Amino acid sequence: MKKPLLVIIVLGLIVFFTTVFTVDERQQVVILQFGDPVRIITEPGLHFKLPVPFQNIVSFDDRLLEYDVAPEEVLSKDKKSLIVDNYVRWKITDPLVFLKTVQAIPTAITRMDDIIYSELRRELGTHNMTEIITEAREEIMEKVTRNSDEATDQYGIKVVDVRIKRVDLPKENEQSIYARMEAERNRQANKFRSEGDEEAQKIRASTEKDKTIILAVAYKEAEEIRGEGEARALEIYAKAYNKDVDFYEFLRTLETYKKVIDDKTTLVLPADSKLFKMLYE
Amino acid sequence: MQTKRVIIGDREVKIPVLGIFPMIAIGLVLWLLTGTYIVGPDEVGVVQTFGKHSRISQSGLNYHLPYPIETVQTPKVTEVKRVEIGFRTTGKNQFRTIEKESLMLTGDENIVDAELIVQYKIKDPVAYTFNFVKPEQTVREAAEATLRTIIGRHKIDEALTAGKFMIQEESKFLLQSILDKYETGIFVVAVQLQDVSPPKQVIAAFKDVASAKEDKNRMINQAEGYRNNVIPKARGEAQAMIREAEGFRVARIARAEGDVAKFNAMLVEYKKGKEVTRKRMYLETMEEILPNIEKYIVPDGDGSNLLNLLNLNAQGGVK
Repeated sequence: MKKPLLVIIVLGLIVFFTTVFTVDERQQVVILQFGDPVRIITEPGLHFKLPVPFQNIVSFDDRLLEYDVAPEEVLSKDKKSLIVDNYVRWKITDPLVFLKTVQAIPTAITRMDDIIYSELRRELGTHNMTEIITEAREEIMEKVTRNSDEATDQYGIKVVDVRIKRVDLPKENEQSIYARMEAERNRQANKFRSEGDEEAQKIRASTEKDKTIILAVAYKEAEEIRGEGEARALEIYAKAYNKDVDFYEFLRTLETYKKVIDDKTTLVLPADSKLFKMLYE
Repeated sequence: MQTKRVIIGDREVKIPVLGIFPMIAIGLVLWLLTGTYIVGPDEVGVVQTFGKHSRISQSGLNYHLPYPIETVQTPKVTEVKRVEIGFRTTGKNQFRTIEKESLMLTGDENIVDAELIVQYKIKDPVAYTFNFVKPEQTVREAAEATLRTIIGRHKIDEALTAGKFMIQEESKFLLQSILDKYETGIFVVAVQLQDVSPPKQVIAAFKDVASAKEDKNRMINQAEGYRNNVIPKARGEAQAMIREAEGFRVARIARAEGDVAKFNAMLVEYKKGKEVTRKRMYLETMEEILPNIEKYIVPDGDGSNLLNLLNLNAQGGVK
């Protein structure tokens, strides 16, 4: 009585578990009927299919996937060699096409790599090195992303972003950049020192100039003052001495005697001079 | 309840045996209990029902229907994670530079050594959990690309000095927009540009520019110092010249006035007896000057014997 019931329950469970399946938020699923894809499920949740011998499921990642491209040497338009390191973010958008064309992720990456590498080469080849380093970088990345995306449609892949991580120069070219940088800095250093010299000399020269002017102006003023003193003194003297020129002359002569005649003087006096006229009388 | 007799050695033990349905019931209860879970204070619970995201649970004790019906993931949403570009922290205050990451070209085709720290956290736990793979690598690669893109937009001198803040802000903005484009649910908290320095091959030349700048300032300062020393001195000297002249003027006038006063006073007296005063003054002067000097008095008055006199004197000197 009990045994058949148990068998039915077990069989029922087996059928149930091969019929019911869940699709995770991170997955998308293709249902194969005897190996032939019949349905795509991208909506997560509980889903049903025919039990195992009839239908199988293949699931694919529904997330944004990564792949890092190995650094490659690429030539720019001005024939300069650059080492470009980029990465790719991509998604499986059509699992059916994906399954039919590339089956699995490693194959997909190989295909994608071919496309992106050639797109990148072509795009970088239309720009000069300076542009690649500076303003054109984002434009290049956008264009490569867009073109690669179109080219990978055939694999059910969406290329979301091709991004250049690094653009570097080969080692040999780096040396020449360093040499240029050094020369540029030496030039700047020299410029600063010469400027300093120039400024300092300017200051010193203007100092000398100012000093000379200050002293000359002061000399002028001082001489004017002296002149004023002399003039005033002359005026005073003239005014007074003019009262009696004769007396002044007499006084001044006596003064002059006192100064001119000193102990080294030998004086020969005639006996009949004014002073000695009484001596022989 | 049914029991079963079991003989262990020489003893007989009774073991209770459960029927099939109570066993299933207990199993069911235990299975249901596996749905309890704890969400830490720094986490949220992202619950999936049959693989589809159904709800978010907050910190504390929570329950979801047991596997395989519901599952939960608990990303740490308050934790600020950190990615280092150009270097790695190897220990406390120990760092290792990674030149491959840190050396990059600037907009004017120079090379700088730049290091960056990115701090990020989860702003959308659902997007963070379901939308993409390898979160840390994603942030790292995007940050590396960002830093190089931004540095490539700037000239070396900007990158080394004043443009640092701008580079940081631009990097933060660009990085956030990339991560948003990938729908990562990541929020860039901060982008910190660490040291931006010239590559070590040329650092000496850069340092020399700095010292040249200082040399320039020093030279100017020295010249200014010289000026500050010389000009006040000159001004002092000028003032001294003027003061001296002023002194001279006053003195000259005063002396003149003095002389004149004396003259006037004498003139008054002189006028009282001209001849007498004249003679007296003459004689007084002679008295004053003649005692100290050698004098010869020649009697004949015309001085013709002067030569003889001189000869005589010379011979006398010899004797």
